This record gives sequence, C-alpha cells and structure tokens, in this order.
Amino acid sequence: MKRKCQDYESRLPDNTAMKQQQLPAFRLQLSANEILSGFFAIGLFCLGMGIILLLSAKSIREVEINYTAKCATCAKLREDATNFDKECNCSISFYLPQKMEGNVYLYYKLYGFYQNLYRYILSRSNIQLVGTDVKDVRNCAPFKTSDNGLPIAPCGAIANSMFNDTIVLLYNFNSSTHIRVPMVRTETAWWTDKYVKFQNPTFQNLSSAFAGTAKPPNWPKPVYELDEKDPGNNGFVNDDFIVWMRTAAFPNFKKLYRRLHRIGNFTEGLPAGSYSFIINYNFPVGRFQGQKAVVLSTLTWSGGSSLFLALAYLVTGAVTLLASFSMMAVHLKLKERKTFFLQ
Amino acid sequence: QTCLLIGTEKDLDVKTSKYNALNFLPMNLFEQFQRLANAYFLFLLFLQLIPQISSLAWYTTVVPLMVVLSITAVKDFISAFFPPSIVKIRLWHAGIQGSLSCRIVTEKWMNVQVGDIIKLENNQIVTADILLLSSSEPYSLTYIETAELDGETNLKVKQAISVTSEMEDNLKLLSAFDGEVRCESPNNKLDKFTGILMYKGKNYILNHDRLILRGCVIRNTDWCYGLVIFTGPDTKVMQNSGKSTFKRTHIDHLMNVLVLWIFLFLGCMCFLLAVGHYIWENNKGYYFQDYLPWEDYVSSSVFSATLIFWSYFIILNTMVPISLYVSVEIIRLGNSFYINWDQKMFYEPKNMPAQARTTTLNEELGQVKYVFSDKTGTLTQNIMIFNKCSINGILYGMSLVSLGRYIPKEKVDFSYNKLADPKFSFYDKTLVEVVKKGDHWVHLFFLSLSLCHTVISEEKVEGELVYQAQSPDEGALVTAARNFGFVFRSRTSETIMVVEMGKTRIYQLLAILDFSNTRKRMSVIVRTPENRILLFCKGADTILCQLLHPSCRSLKDITMDHLDDFASDGLRTLMLAYRELDSAFFQDWSKKHSEACLSLENRENKISIVYEEIERDLMLLGATAIEDKLQDGVPETILTLNKAKIKIWVLTGDKQETAVNIAYACNIFEDEMDEIFIVEGNNGETVGGELRSAREKMKPGSLLESDPVNSYLTTKPQPPFKIPEEVPSGSYGLIINGYSLAHALEGNLELELLRTACMCKGVICCRMTPLQKAQVVELVKKYKKVVTLAIGDGANDVSMIKAAHIGVGISGQEGMQAMLSSDYAFSQFRYLQRLLLVHGRWSYNRMCKFLSYFFYKNFAFTLVHVWYAFYSGFSAQTVYDTWFITFYNLIYTSLPVLGLSLFDQDVNETWSLRFPELYEPGQHNLYFNKKEFVKCLLHGIYSSFVLFFIPMGTVYNSEISDYQSFSLIVQTSLLCVVTMQVLSGREEGKEGGKISLETTYWTMISHVFTWGSLGFYFCILFFLYSDGLCLLFPDTFQFLGVARNTLNLPQMWLSVVLSIILCMLPVIGYQFLKPLFWPIIDRIHHCMRHPLPYPIRTKLKHTASRRSAYAFSHKQGFGALITSGKTVKAKLPKRNSSHYKR
Repeated sequence: MKRKCQDYESRLPDNTAMKQQQLPAFRLQLSANEILSGFFAIGLFCLGMGIILLLSAKSIREVEINYTAKCATCAKLREDATNFDKECNCSISFYLPQKMEGNVYLYYKLYGFYQNLYRYILSRSNIQLVGTDVKDVRNCAPFKTSDNGLPIAPCGAIANSMFNDTIVLLYNFNSSTHIRVPMVRTETAWWTDKYVKFQNPTFQNLSSAFAGTAKPPNWPKPVYELDEKDPGNNGFVNDDFIVWMRTAAFPNFKKLYRRLHRIGNFTEGLPAGSYSFIINYNFPVGRFQGQKAVVLSTLTWSGGSSLFLALAYLVTGAVTLLASFSMMAVHLKLKERKTFFLQ
Repeated sequence: QTCLLIGTEKDLDVKTSKYNALNFLPMNLFEQFQRLANAYFLFLLFLQLIPQISSLAWYTTVVPLMVVLSITAVKDFISAFFPPSIVKIRLWHAGIQGSLSCRIVTEKWMNVQVGDIIKLENNQIVTADILLLSSSEPYSLTYIETAELDGETNLKVKQAISVTSEMEDNLKLLSAFDGEVRCESPNNKLDKFTGILMYKGKNYILNHDRLILRGCVIRNTDWCYGLVIFTGPDTKVMQNSGKSTFKRTHIDHLMNVLVLWIFLFLGCMCFLLAVGHYIWENNKGYYFQDYLPWEDYVSSSVFSATLIFWSYFIILNTMVPISLYVSVEIIRLGNSFYINWDQKMFYEPKNMPAQARTTTLNEELGQVKYVFSDKTGTLTQNIMIFNKCSINGILYGMSLVSLGRYIPKEKVDFSYNKLADPKFSFYDKTLVEVVKKGDHWVHLFFLSLSLCHTVISEEKVEGELVYQAQSPDEGALVTAARNFGFVFRSRTSETIMVVEMGKTRIYQLLAILDFSNTRKRMSVIVRTPENRILLFCKGADTILCQLLHPSCRSLKDITMDHLDDFASDGLRTLMLAYRELDSAFFQDWSKKHSEACLSLENRENKISIVYEEIERDLMLLGATAIEDKLQDGVPETILTLNKAKIKIWVLTGDKQETAVNIAYACNIFEDEMDEIFIVEGNNGETVGGELRSAREKMKPGSLLESDPVNSYLTTKPQPPFKIPEEVPSGSYGLIINGYSLAHALEGNLELELLRTACMCKGVICCRMTPLQKAQVVELVKKYKKVVTLAIGDGANDVSMIKAAHIGVGISGQEGMQAMLSSDYAFSQFRYLQRLLLVHGRWSYNRMCKFLSYFFYKNFAFTLVHVWYAFYSGFSAQTVYDTWFITFYNLIYTSLPVLGLSLFDQDVNETWSLRFPELYEPGQHNLYFNKKEFVKCLLHGIYSSFVLFFIPMGTVYNSEISDYQSFSLIVQTSLLCVVTMQVLSGREEGKEGGKISLETTYWTMISHVFTWGSLGFYFCILFFLYSDGLCLLFPDTFQFLGVARNTLNLPQMWLSVVLSIILCMLPVIGYQFLKPLFWPIIDRIHHCMRHPLPYPIRTKLKHTASRRSAYAFSHKQGFGALITSGKTVKAKLPKRNSSHYKR
C-alpha cells in the first residue's frame, strides 16, 4: 500500500483575517442624498471661499507701470551692446489716488523673459554659490569661463542675465520737494536661500575671495561690488542676486525688489499723492521683444492682487451648485427608471 | 521497505534546470532584457547618457530599473533555487524495487532505465511502459486499473507470454533473461503496441495485451515482473500529454498592445512638441540668445527640434511605466497566496490545501467561459454504491437528498450478519425486515445477486472477505447481497459457495453466459442443492424487458416506473430476472452450447444464438440502482457555474452510457432539455450531416446563406478569426463519440462541430483519447477567443490541462501527473466554484482596477509636462523635481495601488457565490479593455489639465512665482488627487456589476497604505529638501528649503484643494449620472430584490434512453476465464509447463 513518509501534520492554512481575506473593513456606500448634499456643500464652500478671496484681493492696492515704451530712448540705447558704459536714466511719474496702507512692496516685472528654459535653469553652479569652491563651473555652460579662461563667478546663464535696472521711488511732496521713499533692500529673499543655500567663500576680504575669477560678461562690476555698503548683502548673499537666482516658473513674472521702510511719512504706508520712479535703465529687453514693468503692491493673507484663485473658486462653486441642481432634477425624474442606486 | 520518491522528479527538474549558481545573474538579466519593457528602459537609459538630449538626470531611470530588475531577479532566484517546498511533501511515496543482478535492489523510479527488469507489487502505480514477464497469478495474469489513462473504472487483464511467465519469481532465471525486444518507436497510441521478443532463438509476437502502461495501477496481483520498454517522456502517456507552453493571460496580451499604443501616442506627442520647439526657437529663442546662446553644435532650429524630440521622449517615458510589469506580478503573486491560504479550499480527509502552482494567471480565473472536465475522479469519486432496489414491484431504499435538503437517516444495522461488510451502508430498514421475515422474492433477488456475477473472492483472514470485481458496479451488487445475508464466499470453476442467512449452500455452476457489449446482459445457470436448475440473468432493462415472460407484464410496468425514478436520480440501473429450467431442456441446450463452442466457423455468432435460446421467458425479479458516487457538491457547483454562464463540457475516455448518466446526475444535462443530439457517425459525411441537422433544429435558419455567421464565414476571414456567439432556441445537449469526433475535428468539419457544440448547453464527449481532449480545447480556444479551463485528475487529462488557458488538477488522487502539469490544484471538484467565482472574480476585478488606475495615474503625472511645454519654450523642462519623478511610481503611489489591488473586494464572497451572475462581466472582459483604456487616457488628460492650470493660475503673476514652488504645488496636488482617486473608487467607472461608485473596501491596511503613503510623501519631501542633504550634494538636491517656505502659504493649499475638487467632482458626478442615463441592470441589487427560488427538481417521466447503464467493461467479461478455471487459485502443480501452453 501507499504510504507517506512524512508525518501527518495538518496543512490547514492559518485562520487569520489576513489570509482568509476577512480583514475588518469599512464599506463606504454613499446614498444619492448624501452625494447630492455633498455636492451642495462643496458648491457652497467654493462660493464662500471665492467671495472671501475676492474681497481680500480687492482690498489690495496695486500700481503697475510698464516702462518699456515710456523709456523708449533708453531702450534704444541698450539695443546696441557697445553703449554698455553709457548711463541712461528715465523718470516716470504717476499719481496715487488712495494711500497704500501697511507693508508696501516694490516689484520689478518682466514679460517674455524665459527663466524656465531647461538649459537656462541648469546653467548655475550650486557648489560655487554655497561658497565651497568658487572655481566650480561644471554645470555653467555656456557661461563657464571668461574669454581669458578664468572661471566666471557667479557662473552660468542665470547669473549672467541678472536684472540690473535700479529703481528709485520719489514722493513728490509738492512740485519742488521730492522725497526719496525709504526702501529696505534686504529680506527680500527666502531665509533659507540667504543663510544656507548662498554663502560667500570664507575669506577675510571678499574681493580676494573671488580672486582668480572673472565677472559675468553682462555684469558691469564684479560680484563682490554688488553692495559695498553692506557686507551682509554683498557677494553671493546679495538679496537682489538671490532673488534673481530663484528662477521663475513662467515667462511673465515679477520679483520682489524692495520693501517700504516704514519710517517718517511712511509709517502707515504710502500716502496718496504724486510719485515718480527714477529708473537707471540697464537691462535690455528689446532684442527678444520683452517688456519691463515696476509694481507697487500691498499683500494680504491670501497673497497679492491676483484674482485667479478667487474667480476659480467662484466659478467652481457656481458650476458645482448648478451641477448638483441638475443632478437632483435628473435623479428625481429618472428615479423610477433606475433599479438600484442606493437609497 | 524504503520510502522512495516516485518518478515525478523529472517533471520538477524541467522547471529548475534553467539556472545554476554561476550563470544565474547574466542569464537572468539577459532574460529580463528580452522583455520589451525592460529593453525599452535600457534604451532610455542610453538616451539619457547622451548629454545633448538628456533632459532628466540619469537616476530617474536607473533607480526604478534597478528596483524592478532586482525584484524580478529575487523572485526568479527563489523559484529557481527554492522550488515550492509544498510540492515535495505532496509526493506520495511508494516502494519500488528494481531487480539488478541476482539481488533485488530498491531504486528510485527516476533511475529506472530501459531494459531493467523490475518487480511491481499490488496497488503500485506504474511509471514506465513495461513488458509483462511474469506474475503471481495463474497464467501470469495481471489485473490493472486504467482510470488514470482512460477514465474507465473496471479492471483490465494483461497476460504475459508463456515463455517468460515460466520464469515466475525465480530471480536466477530472471536475471539471466537475455531476450531482445524490437518494437515500434515511441508514439501516442494508447491502445496499440507491436513488437517482437527474440528469446532463445525464437520470435514471439508482442501486442498491446502484454504491455503495462505508465499510469496504470496494479490490482489484485501480489507481484509481477516486467521489462522496461519506455521510460519518461517516451512513455505512451507522456507522448499524449502535449507540449507545455508558457501560458500568458489575455490581459498580458492586451497590456502589450496598449503599451504599443502608448508608444505611438508618445511618438506623436514628442513630434508635436518638437514642432512647437522649432516654431518657438524661430520666433523667440533665436532672439533670446543674449541670455541663452545656442549650443555650438546647434546650427538651426530644425536641428534643435530634433534633439528636443528625443529629450521629450525621455521626459514622457513615464507614460509607459517601468513598474507596470513588476506591479502586475506582485499583485498576481499576492492573489495566488490567497488561494493557497484559503481554508475553505482545504480538504481535510486528504490534508490538502489548494495550490496555485502558477502565479501568472490569476485574473484569467475571473474570465472563464468554458470548462472542460474529466469525469472519472473529477466529477465522480469512482465509488459505486448500492442505493435502491425494486423487488417484485416494491421499492426499497430512499434517496438521501430530497428537494435539496438532507433528511437525517439512520443506517441499517447489519449486525445479524457476521460476514457483512462494515463499510456498506443502507438507509431503508424495511428491506432488512423483509429479508429477516424470509420473503421468497426478496431472497431470490439477493440469491441472484450473489450468484450471477464474475467476482472473485479472497478470504485471507477467516470471515474477512475481499471481493475482486471486474467493475465496481458488480462489486457493489455482490457486496449488497453479502450484507443482506446472501454471502458469496468462494467459487471454483464448477461451484459457487454462498452463505444464505447463515447457512452454507453450494451451487453447481453449470454455465456462464457472459456479458458482451451487444448482449448487454449476463446470465448464470446453476444447479441448486435441491437439484433445481435455475438461470439468473441481469442486464440492461431495454434488453431484458423484451425477454420477459408475458405473465409478468404488470410487474414489468411497475418495475419500469421504478426504473424511471432511478434514472431521474442519475442512478445506474440493472434489471434482474430468473428462469427455472427443465432438466431435459437444459441438457439439450447444453449440448448445443458445447457444439457451438467447438465450431470453428462463425463461433461468436453461433454462441450468441444459443444464448438467446435459453434467455427467454424470464421471470422478472426486480431492478437495482447503483449510484456512481459523485464528489461532494458537484451538481450544486455545476448549477452555480451554469448560472455564471460558464459552459461545461465533459470530455471522458469512458463509454457513452456512463458518461451520459453522470451528466444527468450532475446537472449538465437536464430532464427539461428540449433535445439531446447524439453524434455517432462513422465517417465525415454522416458526422457533418448530424451536426448540421442538430444546428438546424436548435436555430432554424442557421444553415441558410442569410445567417450572419454563415455569411461571415463565406467572406473567408483570415485566421485567426472569431466565431460570434449564436443563440439557440432552447436548451439542448450534445453527445459525441470519440471516433465521430476524430472525423469532426478534420478540416472543414471543425467549424461545424464548434458552432453546433457551442450552441448546446451541455456537451459530452466520450471515448476520447488524451490527444483528442486537447484538440477539442484547442478548437474552442482557436475560434472562440474566450478563456478555457480544463480540470482533471488523471494522466489522460494532462494534454488538455496543458492546452487550456488554465489547467486545474484534482490532486490527492492516486496519480500526480495531472497535478504536476496543472496551474492550480486542489482535491475536490466543488472548490472550482470558489476558485472561479471568489478568487477569480476578485483577482480579475483587482487587476482591472489596478490597470485602469495605474494607467490613469501615469497619464495624469506625465501629461503635465506637455502643458508646461507651451510656457517653457518647448525646452524639455520638467514640471517636477527629478527625485519626484524617480520616486513617483516606486514609492509615492505604489502602496495605495497595492492596497487597492490586494485588499479590494467589490462584493464579499457570500455575494459572489450567491449571485454567480456577477461573474459575467469578466467573461466579456468589460472591466478593462481598449475602451476603458481610452477612458483612462481621457481622464488622465483632464486631470493633468487641472493639475497644471490651477497651480499655474495661482502662481502666475503672483509673488510666489518661482519654478521650485510651482513644482511643489503641482507635485502635492497630483499626489493628493491620485491618492483620493484610490479612495473614492474612480475605478468603479465600469459597466455593470458595480453597486455604486463609492463602494470600495477599506480595510485597515488600505487605510494605513493610503494615508501612510501621503504622510510618507511629506516626510520624504522634508528630507529631500533639507539643508543637510542639499548642502552635501548641492547639484543633486537643488530644492533646498522649498518645502519649508511654500508649504506654509495659504495660496498653495487653496490651489491644492481646488485641484482636488475639480478632479474629483466630475468623476463622482459621472458615476452618479451614468446609471441614471444608461440604466444597467445592477446585478447585485437586482438579484437582491428578486431572489431566485431554489431550483426544485421536478421529476419528469422520460424515455428510457437514459437508463441501462450497465457498467461492465465494454470488452468481453471475465466469464471465460472463470469457467476455464484460470482465475481459481487452486494451487495446482505448476511445474508442468505444458499445462499452460496456450
């Protein structure tokens, strides 16, 4: 007779919930009513959110002045690269009908400038910028070295194309008195960028730290002369530089340039009245049909004056409500036809 | 006796021999890269190494590729070097002794070689084709059971040729045996063998009767010696088992097609983007060179666009996700484990859990449309039970099952009879009481049972009788008589000793009128101790009722009624009759008989005429009903499978009557069927005619030219084409015989066969060879394009198990052949419904949900880049951080997907079993097909649109305008949306069968997986964007501080919430409205409202065609052997060799 050599130990599978596929489970079943009320609730939420966002966006005062056309003479001058050493200033006056309360921010805005091109974004050396090795220019093509073979610091296309217009805001107290509006040029960049990601090479003297490197070809002066008055804002840790290096996601973008220093007349913000921008026009945009603008704006909890989120929420809310009404109508009308949708 | 493995190791070897320790790595890698997907990613990797077009860091491809390759390699490694241990335990062990030189040594079957002489013992399974040399039985007879080979349950006899049988068990003679065998080359003909034995200068012709085939079991024979002729793959059974092919599922094929589609789509996308780049470079890029000069090697925007084409090819490669194949394999593996773990598929008596032997076919279990089943050992237990009888017009015995409920009954106590078989059980006390009372007819009835048979008894221990019956039916009848007090104790060639109610009486056996296939009856003529001469006859009722004496007409009518009842219960029936013979008449007849026996010409015919002379004017005694015991739950299982629209065909090697009988018993044929067609033509023309006329009846007009299928076929479609489903006008059955099938499978008739058979509700194919079984399966596979499943237990089923999409082996029976070549194995047929309706359905649903979700999430993920291209000068700039791209499929989204595809249950198992209709969508492949794929694509496009433009609107012209913050917003929105889709059951967007959209099964594990993976994302985020890591590798991790600065902005979260709402609401709304506008009968709820009444089997009176399943061998019975005295173990002096000469 046949027999087994193995002892007769039972091979009954374990009776665990996992193995028997009997894990305790929650079966989510939404009834038609629940779904419809869910839709209503979401619709109302979106509408409400939209209204709140709209109101807060409306509370923002914003002035945007496109100065590409207004400074046409300067723009023309900059078309020609040989005029790089010629200064060109341009003054734009405007009238602020209502005062801008609270913190006021000054932005520059570029149209049609592609900071998000693949090669452009890559063209930087984080190792250099963090201060470990000033001469590391590996990823910086096509701006690795200057004509005489010195490594560029800061290297790369991003740094080379840095926005270098200077914008000064004057408050025209009356026709003769022009007060320069006090502006803070620091704390415009992220804390992590300023204190972690960007570091000057450790050297007693900043200019000697950059010895053996060349300035980017488009720059009028080397990196260690960006802000000679404030050593904490000079070299790689210059806020304007850091802000520029945080590349924009889209070809039209604005970047924070200055913050209002709330002292004196400006403790409460910018009072209503006549102002003018004095712009030292250096950054050429004509070649690629770009445009430049300067923006003064306040901020709320939900950001700036952009209406997109507010409108998107409003539209979504309205559509959801509409949809839920029509779904209810369909549901009530066709209820008899359906055999099953859970009650 | 040592325990040894039987020769099944070779079968295992095939699987494991591919690798060894040295070649594993290179070979495995080579094999893996043969996969299209893996090769594609290798190609991508090379593309990425070209700096001019590289648009992604190298690690985005390398990390996933490494992970995928190593997972697969580990899996292969385990299966190559640690084959499932369970198989080893499962092997039955048997002692087998090979005799080499003078001494008998024990040897493993796998070491047995051609030319060895081996000794086989009773009940051993033979695993080689062996030429019988000698045996312990007189005349060197050897009894074998061939159920494994052909499904027949009766014993067969093999006999050694006389020269070799003289050697008996004399080892000296055997070892000196130096005969030479010349025979045909290995072939697959089970019933033919030709060869010549050259021994001592003489030639002896060898035929099929001398050969014991692999797969047989030695029965009733203490020992026998044989010469090994064929081993291993050369054996006839193995030659029949067909080629084993690597099975792939329909979803696999579909996946390959879809991956190709995605390639095409990808190509188009890249082309369009390259064109966009060309235009942009001309209009903008050229003038932007002050800030970003072109590379030196870029001469024109056309060249630049060409490079960009490849750059985008790299970026968008995530549309063909590398982890797809590996995830699919993990899911299948998990679902296979569920099968192994299922307690409800564990068979206690055999200690056998179910086994998924392949882990690649799971979802196909949810799509089965045709089941091909063996009969013996699969549907039946191969046990015959004396169930009912009708004696002199009175019915005894009750059916256990009545209207579907078990009625508890007490077993009849046979303690009054010391010789009773304790295993026998009967449930009607009245019969015992009648026997005890001494009713004349009942006594005569049982006396006839104890006399009229060819059973041989063996009494090794006093009082413990063992019957050796040619067929289990006969054994059951004689055992029944034994228990009721008419014990057949022993026989000689001239006498039969019967213990009648305790008294021993000896009957003189005057003649045995043996069974033959045409006579369908057998008779014995005995002389009682009172010197009466009696003829007892038993046989098929159709035959016997014509031989009855006219006086018993009324009794006949009553008995026929009873027979109808028996038959409708699926019992095998026999009629018993007797005749008292006048002594003179018998003498007269006896003379004629011996004359006929001696005549040289036309002997068979003459004998049967003589037989007919005496088998006349019989007095009816009654009828017996024997149950061919089905396995537990077979009829219910078949009913359930039928409800799931699964068609069941029985393919058996057994003969027609028994097969049809079983078909009725297990609901494959029903009494309510309109008609059952029998195809038994002997040539192609008749078979074709029969098939056509059957089809004409089932669907009038189906032979006309106008029939859509006919007109389709006249267009001569190129194979492979698909024959559409045809609906018959009623329910029909088809019976086809093996020899007719041989004609039907030829060329032009195979379509006729297929179309006719597929219209029938049940199909029975009898007397099939193993290869024909495979041919039938292949036929359906070829033209129907549906999933087929073959289930069987014997060596004769191996070919069809290999041929079908899914092969299921019933294990725990004697042989291992079927199980070893099967994909799934368990020990009871009834587990099939659980395998298909529960595990199969779940696996299929899970796989479909997984696939649609997987494709969706990758489209949503990848297509965002395309939208961004319009704003980034088509410069192949990605939206996401490279690390996000690397981890997206691998870490961030893999757990929710696994949770979904391992734990989801759309309905629980009770419902899937109660409403087999839920199985249907799988058969039509409704849950994942090309249409569903396109839906996924569209949904993915929509989601990517939302996921890009909402964050873009938020960022555009606002104070958070930087690229890295934008990346983070899109990434987070994407991950939230994609995870929410898992939870909210976007996968419910299927037709039919779903309760409602939000029915997802949230186990604790799914919760942990889903929320955990979202939480995990943020953890990884803070880690990847942390100061330390970024300062260590400033060029690799560039997103320093982004998480800290952006995640606390309200705009970001407003944007994420809006994206989620916009992505989710349309899906929910669609799910809500879809069933309202396009009402589909939701199967579950429909069923819940209208529960089907439990089917009550109505008893119909029907023609007697179903009866008369006299289950003897279709060959000649043993009668001649008995009367010649060969089987009688009177130990005559055997030395006299001349005595044995034939």
